[in-house]
Amino acid sequence: MVVYVEGVGMTKIDRHYDYSLKDLAANAAFAAIEQAGGIDGIDYLVFSSSLSPLQDNQLDTASYLATSLGLRGIKALNVEAGEASGLAAISVAKSLLESHQADKVLVIGAEKLNEFVSSKVYKQLQMLYDGDTKSFYNIGYAGDAAILMRLYMDTYNVDREVMSYWPALMHSNAKENPYAMLNFAIKPDKVAKSQILADPITLLDSYPLGDGAAAIVLSNKDMSTSPIAKISAVESSTGYGSIELSDDPLLFDSLSEAYRRISNIADTSNLDFIEIHDSFTITAMVILETLGLAKRGKAAELVSTGYFSPGGKGPLANPSGGLKARGHPLGATGVYQIAESSLQIANKFPGIKVNNAKKGLVVSLNGLGSSSYVALVEGV
Amino acid sequence: MSMDLSISRFWRKKEIIYKLSGAKCKSCGKVHYPPKNACPYCGSREIELIELPRKGKLISYTTIYAIPEGARHQSPIYYGLIDLGVTKITAELTDIVNANSLKKDMEVEATLRKTQEDRDAGLIYYVLKFRPVLV
Amino acid sequence: MVSPKAGIHGWGAYIPIYRLPLADIAKIWGWHPDQYKGLAVESKAVAGPDEDSLTMGYEAAYNAIKRSKIEPKKISAIFFGTESKPYAVKPSATIIGEALGITPFTMASDLEFACRAASEGMRSLIGMASSGLIDYGLAIGSDTAQANPGDVLEFTAASGAAAFVIGRTNNASAIIEDSVTFVTDTPDFWRRASQPYPLHGEGFTGEPAYFYHIENAVKALLERNGLKPSDFDYAIFHQPNGKFPVKIGQDLGFNMDQMKDGLVTPMIGNTYNASALMGLARVLDKAKPGQKILLAPFGSGAGSDAYFITVTDEVENRKQLAPTVEDYLNRKVLIDYASYAKSRSIIHVIK
Repeated sequence: MVVYVEGVGMTKIDRHYDYSLKDLAANAAFAAIEQAGGIDGIDYLVFSSSLSPLQDNQLDTASYLATSLGLRGIKALNVEAGEASGLAAISVAKSLLESHQADKVLVIGAEKLNEFVSSKVYKQLQMLYDGDTKSFYNIGYAGDAAILMRLYMDTYNVDREVMSYWPALMHSNAKENPYAMLNFAIKPDKVAKSQILADPITLLDSYPLGDGAAAIVLSNKDMSTSPIAKISAVESSTGYGSIELSDDPLLFDSLSEAYRRISNIADTSNLDFIEIHDSFTITAMVILETLGLAKRGKAAELVSTGYFSPGGKGPLANPSGGLKARGHPLGATGVYQIAESSLQIANKFPGIKVNNAKKGLVVSLNGLGSSSYVALVEGV
Repeated sequence: MSMDLSISRFWRKKEIIYKLSGAKCKSCGKVHYPPKNACPYCGSREIELIELPRKGKLISYTTIYAIPEGARHQSPIYYGLIDLGVTKITAELTDIVNANSLKKDMEVEATLRKTQEDRDAGLIYYVLKFRPVLV
Repeated sequence: MVSPKAGIHGWGAYIPIYRLPLADIAKIWGWHPDQYKGLAVESKAVAGPDEDSLTMGYEAAYNAIKRSKIEPKKISAIFFGTESKPYAVKPSATIIGEALGITPFTMASDLEFACRAASEGMRSLIGMASSGLIDYGLAIGSDTAQANPGDVLEFTAASGAAAFVIGRTNNASAIIEDSVTFVTDTPDFWRRASQPYPLHGEGFTGEPAYFYHIENAVKALLERNGLKPSDFDYAIFHQPNGKFPVKIGQDLGFNMDQMKDGLVTPMIGNTYNASALMGLARVLDKAKPGQKILLAPFGSGAGSDAYFITVTDEVENRKQLAPTVEDYLNRKVLIDYASYAKSRSIIHVIK
């Protein structure tokens, strides 16, 4: 069943020391509500955030937020799925609409990652990975992705230089996006020279730690007034989320499954653009290959040819600038992706515009794919 | 008084961590580490603990500089994906002289080392890390 | 009364990879080379940032158990001898015991007697094993020896471990034929409970302590067994530096040929509880069946043991079952004073 995007709101992603989590959420929510034509009919709030209980010292944030936004009494729910929380929240909102438990859902994703010094945040981010025994190590947030990147480069004989085109493309796109955290261009050769986080991952391969919130008002067909886009399908799957468990760690098994599921219920061909989860350069490469948008081992090379760039032959990749440059406020990211895609479809995106965008695929996942979500956003 | 590291969370897993106990599925035969409540491959609950080999080969590795709080004393953290034959595991590496000495297919073996330390008065967690084989 | 005999079934050692040249220490603290050359030590072994006496003791014990060829669960006593344990209260012996698969039906404790605590453990195991109270016991000596930065002790205070599986005599790699312990209240070297580093009496640690106790223990052992120094193939002494063991050995009538294989301190410094015991491990790595060993550990406070050990045929079957002391000696990387200071937590940090 299709659900309709009535309005979207986003804050710029930045180190917002002067805004609290609820301030950012309110900012995005009020913008979305305004575009949707007002609060009338909004009967459910779904809130997505990953680290807010730790960063913001708040539990049951959705409920406190409902009252804080002047929506006391509406139904509310928190959704947490690590980095994929945002798209998971969209998935829940869609289910509420489809089952008629709600007629109009306000989805807000918000995250702050700068309330503590970085070493503390790295320890918190380590929780995105399987904690059974890894939580007793000191591997921080980039250790597993770094192992995957080296494995990829060794297996396919891909060098550092070729891998650097993706971050450069992200920055180039983000430069046009007023909501992006890092809206400045970089040359590919700068990537290898930037600070090593976990060799071979450098600072410019990785998402920045930013605060932000995004919001969407979703309705089902009966309640829809003037939608800017529609979400035709959302699918998901869980998976190993681990290099060591997987027989083929260079594919995200949960994403393979989620994509297979969505392809069964919707037409995912002829994509005009994609917004994918490039938490690290390597994550993007594996996602492109898992989706079949690039041959195994060839994603980096394909990116370097300009295939996914504006004017390229393929679907435009991350016109927003992606997690790398637009930013990645964990729980908010998926909501940003849907908001951006909706604006793109409606020809209202304030950054890089995809000509005649009718269909966009959104991909979000957690860690190395403990869960993956895929959504198809289309014109109404 | 502040205690940041949990007593019971580690104590519960010490057998698995100290002995490198993996789980073998009686249904499909696959081995995984650390043991889960059911086989992650076939879903069977018929799993038994087995001691994994203590020697293996490095498949991939990294040198971590973006370290979490409390780990500065051991920085940089060396971390690897190791092939133990019956299964693969990820583990911290130790006795690495410098990042350049890490090589694919390097033979490594397990030994007990400190990992997290709860400042001056709290617990010390000991885990198996892997170091280049001695002989 | 004939002393009960026990067998050394397995032996093992561990030395960390890092070595700090003594010249680096001298440079930082303004010592003239002549002031430390007399110690006859070239560099000292330093435990890495993720090591402590517990982790080193674990590996030495792991090696000893491998050589003993017995199932860990057959061990029912663990004595961990150290003066640098990670917890003042919380026995390292249970952590090591659990990690090695020995627990739960076992005695376990950490012992203190400066550098001879592990030896006291070994002496206790002789009685426990030979009486049948236990089948096998594990004695571990391990230290990340500490010394006040800038003190002369800093030149030799090193890190290392040695371990032995003791049982009855049948099928053992070596037989402990007899042993003697000689202790007195002698305050040559001590560390107050809350202090990080020990104090010592410099020259007082020599004659009234080290020499007096080793001499008395060894002479008593030789006398009651009707033995003379020339009866032994090896003589191994507690080795706080490269000079003292040679002097006591020569004073007692031993020669360098007998002492050289049991001398490890010149290469890695004084590993305290693993000092003489690592010398024993090195000798067992090389000894031939039928050879006789004199072992004399010493600990400040003070006391010495003397052991009369004979090597059996079985030793040849056990040497290659674990890394040798030579393997660990050959595995080395030079570090500087700053790395050592950081590694050994000499630098004050806010945690």
